[in-house]
Amino acid sequence: MRFRRMISFLDNLLIIFLMTAPAQASSILGEEWEKFFKERVTFAGFIENTTGLSVAAGDRKFTTGNRFIMNRFTIQPEFNIDLAESAKLFISWRFVKEPRYNSEARNRRRNSPSLHPLDNTFYDEDSFKPWELALDVVPTDQLSLRFGRQFISWGETDGLRLLDVINPQDGTFAPPAAANLFNLDETRVPLWGMRAIYKLFPASNTALEFIAMPGYDEAKKRVDESAPTAGRWAPHPETRMPLGRLFTDGLTGRPTIIPSITRNLPDAGDNWRLGGRIVHTIGKLNFGIGYLYLYNPQSADLVFKLTGTSPGSTATSTRAYLKLVNDRTSIYAAHFNYPVEELKTALKGEVAFYPSKPYNISQYPGNGYQAGPHPRHPDGTVEKNILRYSIGLDQSTFISFLHPDDPWREFRLSFQLFQSIIFDYEDGIRVFAAAEKIKQVSNSLTFRVSTGYLGDTILPDIFLGYDPEGYWMANPAVSYIPPWNEKMRLSIITAIYWGRNQFKSFGSFDEKDSIFLKMRYQF
Amino acid sequence: MESTVRNQRSINSRGNIYGLLGYLVLFFSLSLQSNAAEVDLKPGDTVGPQNWERVKGLVGENLLNRIKQGYTFQIKPPTTYQPPREYVEATKKYAGGVRLGADGELLNHFGGLPFPEVDPRDPQAGQKVAWNYYWRWRGDDYKAGGGTEIGQVIRYAIEKDGSERRADFVSYFLFPRTRVTLGLKPVIPGYEHIDSIQLRIDHYPRDTSGTATLEIRYADPNRPDDLYLYIPTLRRIRRASTTQRCLTLAPSEFNLDDINFFSGKITDFNYRLLGEKKALTNYTQENVPYNRRQGDYLPVDEKWEVQNVYVLEITPKDPSYCTPKKILWIDKVAWETTWGMTWDRKGEYWKEMALFRMPAKLPDGQVVWQEGTGYIVNVQNGRSSVLTTTRLYNQDLSPSLFTLATMLRIMRGGTI
Repeated sequence: MRFRRMISFLDNLLIIFLMTAPAQASSILGEEWEKFFKERVTFAGFIENTTGLSVAAGDRKFTTGNRFIMNRFTIQPEFNIDLAESAKLFISWRFVKEPRYNSEARNRRRNSPSLHPLDNTFYDEDSFKPWELALDVVPTDQLSLRFGRQFISWGETDGLRLLDVINPQDGTFAPPAAANLFNLDETRVPLWGMRAIYKLFPASNTALEFIAMPGYDEAKKRVDESAPTAGRWAPHPETRMPLGRLFTDGLTGRPTIIPSITRNLPDAGDNWRLGGRIVHTIGKLNFGIGYLYLYNPQSADLVFKLTGTSPGSTATSTRAYLKLVNDRTSIYAAHFNYPVEELKTALKGEVAFYPSKPYNISQYPGNGYQAGPHPRHPDGTVEKNILRYSIGLDQSTFISFLHPDDPWREFRLSFQLFQSIIFDYEDGIRVFAAAEKIKQVSNSLTFRVSTGYLGDTILPDIFLGYDPEGYWMANPAVSYIPPWNEKMRLSIITAIYWGRNQFKSFGSFDEKDSIFLKMRYQF
Repeated sequence: MESTVRNQRSINSRGNIYGLLGYLVLFFSLSLQSNAAEVDLKPGDTVGPQNWERVKGLVGENLLNRIKQGYTFQIKPPTTYQPPREYVEATKKYAGGVRLGADGELLNHFGGLPFPEVDPRDPQAGQKVAWNYYWRWRGDDYKAGGGTEIGQVIRYAIEKDGSERRADFVSYFLFPRTRVTLGLKPVIPGYEHIDSIQLRIDHYPRDTSGTATLEIRYADPNRPDDLYLYIPTLRRIRRASTTQRCLTLAPSEFNLDDINFFSGKITDFNYRLLGEKKALTNYTQENVPYNRRQGDYLPVDEKWEVQNVYVLEITPKDPSYCTPKKILWIDKVAWETTWGMTWDRKGEYWKEMALFRMPAKLPDGQVVWQEGTGYIVNVQNGRSSVLTTTRLYNQDLSPSLFTLATMLRIMRGGTI
């Protein structure tokens, strides 16, 4: 039934497409409609296939080497409609099919029911709901409003997120920290809402921005469903259960514990995301200051609260009741950019201050285990003020010997430092799913370099991430755009991780090394 | 288009109706001073490999070679345009007080042509020609690409083997402090420090559509431009340094300073007026874009005409700059460039640019010139780019269009 609806829908799209194309015969809708479609409606989009191959050996429980891990077919039609001078509509649909993983998810549920695998272990999009629907209204010269299902991105960072937390990241969709694999609008969940921008003083780029996203039809976000198991891109999807062992000995002394996890997802209409900021320019400094009131911004920030225990189904087991804490989060945000001509560089930075952010906490060592219940925090949670910031630079430089055909083709370099600081730090603060401690100060560095060869027909782009505790990731990509057709693009992308640690930084994806072939045709 | 060209002849004669006599006298007097050699070309003549010597010195070296190899075209009568009457009046009003500062900066300029009279013997003649070029009439604002059928700039990147890729975009320009026609004149309050702002938005192909740049040029000669990029794949704005002005804007062969032949900061370069001469160009382009063979950048059926130009040599003050020498052939009436040539740091001929023009009708009915189709060819690697950048002038664009906030609402497809 759904398939038929989809076919019918695609038929309608085809009709609209044909209407926007030059027509020789008179339209059955009449000249006025034909004129409207020709002059005010434009059609574009892309069709794409992405195939991924795992090149990591995997572990003793789950061999992943040489397995196809992605075979994704995507088609995304997009329409721009000029309704009036002050009202424009953009609408797109996104249809994705991964037949292999639909099957795999069913097999997993059938063969490993004890692991309670989540439904969402494959990525399909076959909803007729628009992927993006943006109605832009400009009631006055200085005020612009956007209503609809949209993406809103704040901040300055590249590859890793800091203030770009308004739209949830789809944890089931792609390997983590692989900036070169999919674009932002392919790895975020679009949200219904409104964005208002008032240009206060255009000459200084001073503008007020207000966002409001009720999220009334997004009761379940993939960001919730994917954590802590993270779906198919979990660090170790077949070894999810260590979560419960954190509490084993300290609770009852029984050797086996069965976690019972509840997720208190917000009701429809109870998922508001609100924010406001002012952006201004003083001299060469462009900056913004704002506030965000969100719900559960990032999967890595999730926390589980221990609400109680009871005897398990066997004499040696205990059931621990864990509640996923989806606390609302206040973020005081700021960003800036500033060009430094002497260095031929643009500096950039952003800051996020989270007051009273919840963390999981345990005592180390536990009784016979790596961690146990914390005496001052029996529910396993604690709230701390934290500061996250990034500072970086973007620079263009010439390396003539690497560009013999065009010594003035730039290499674009980007460097970023991310730091997170927990104030009033207590020992034992840990990530939600494991006994891995979080240090008071955590650092990550990224580096990106890209350029183009042979008239930009060959486009290499390398994104590197580094955690000073010993973890690396590399996401090199090279794309080919044939010189005879600007609509085609062929890319080879790899995602490689070093520094094995199941629960830490890039090391947790050590078994997820993959290589992808992506073929895209734009229309 | 044909009717536009037909009308153009009568346009030229109507130019006098607008009371531009004083201005014309200035330029005719300048023309009379020209010591350019007479050219043995008449309308109707055919130029080709059999008589390439007749256009030697009238075209760029690369085109001359193409003519030797077989490229053929016809000569047509020359055309002249005049700037709009408001610009002429502003020239009369302000030019008397304009002067050059110690570092070559322009002082007391509020609109119109800064130096309507250029004495070739003046040691600062080159600098004055450069400023005249910079402040040539371009309307108080314009939309580049507005005159094509699709309302966008059409650009083809052509490989040496003839492969082509197309890209379409639009550019909106605002000149907020030398306004002579629209609204607040001569300056929009709050914009006294800004010479120009450009908002450029890519439309085609799909993956780059919505990519936008906002470039602000400041009046302060010591302040580099500001450049912001909106990247649709990130849905956010990035800042870029504008000090690397030599970078190739691939896949085209332009760099930042090659746009409009020369868009560098005037005070960053030295100038020398090498003289005046005749040049071949086309001020009444027949087809938009002009017809050409697949894989070639030259027009196949356009006629060329002889025009008077200044020859301006541009050398950078920064010794590490990519182009140690650039030559512009600047039209003596419109102060637009008709030809541009650059040499690389080894002194070898590098890039050659040529641009056709065509008439444009202003909202108030006056007829002026505008850019048509032009090309840039990198004679070293064989790549070339062809652009059709017809313009819609004086669209009364709001200053609030030229803001970062505008960039935030650009969608795929590039609508704003």
